[in-house]
Amino acid sequence: MTTVSSLKNIHKKGLFGDHEGKKEDSLIGIKEIKNLLIVQVAQYKNSSYQAKEISIDGLSLPEEALKISCNDGTRILWCGPKNWLLISRNKDLLKNIKKIVSEKDFAVTDLSHSRTIIEIEGENSKEILKKGCPFNFNELKKDNSVNSVFNGIAITVDMIEENPNIIRVFALRSFGESLYHSITDACLEFGYRGI
Amino acid sequence: MLHIKCPYCGMRSQNEFAYGGDATVKRPELNKEVSDEEWNKFVYLRKSPRGKHLELWHHISGCRQWFKVQRDTITHEIFKTAEISEDI
Repeated sequence: MTTVSSLKNIHKKGLFGDHEGKKEDSLIGIKEIKNLLIVQVAQYKNSSYQAKEISIDGLSLPEEALKISCNDGTRILWCGPKNWLLISRNKDLLKNIKKIVSEKDFAVTDLSHSRTIIEIEGENSKEILKKGCPFNFNELKKDNSVNSVFNGIAITVDMIEENPNIIRVFALRSFGESLYHSITDACLEFGYRGI
Repeated sequence: MLHIKCPYCGMRSQNEFAYGGDATVKRPELNKEVSDEEWNKFVYLRKSPRGKHLELWHHISGCRQWFKVQRDTITHEIFKTAEISEDI
């Protein structure tokens, strides 16, 4: 199946906002992330299966808010009690997950085509998110994730790296364009680089 | 702006939540004969107390869980929050 980027013809490369006289490296970087496998794993309410026992790509399912289990290619985000979002570069992982988790206990849904992912990098990336999101981003550390809202759009934030910050923002694909404009507008005062 | 402590996620802004109504309302038992008056009371009639009130809230932009909140309707002070299966 061919994939069409959700920000095709929307995401522009180049320098924008208040970038003049600033080093390119010091600007905020905005990038669209494509071709990731995104899978929702939800345990049924009446299931008594111990989710701790499950290992996907060598990773256990996190059981606390903000927590992520991750390795080089795969990240498993806690999205709520008995609810996880798995993000991976390895597209074959979906078949493995379906083998590992029982259909009686878990619902596994491929959401790869239904999300827009925007990656924000740079020193001021948390400041951008603070403009539209009520979450206290000072609490968000490396390998943490949070579900919240950004200017009224439901988002999932995944903190990939600290110093310099690299943050991925996931939103429903249909809100992708609106989220992109919200984020880029917030970036204008710092100047940003479309990558 | 209110800050509400979600029993699953911790302290979050009210923007992430949706109000879900009175938590003291109990649905009539299933498969039991219910009079029109009882049904009307369950569906439509609500108290509007001045002071402590037990409410349902939904962390709609977070973990998507329903939970109970004990809130003062005058001062908006939140005394306690609990999972839906817990008593306050």
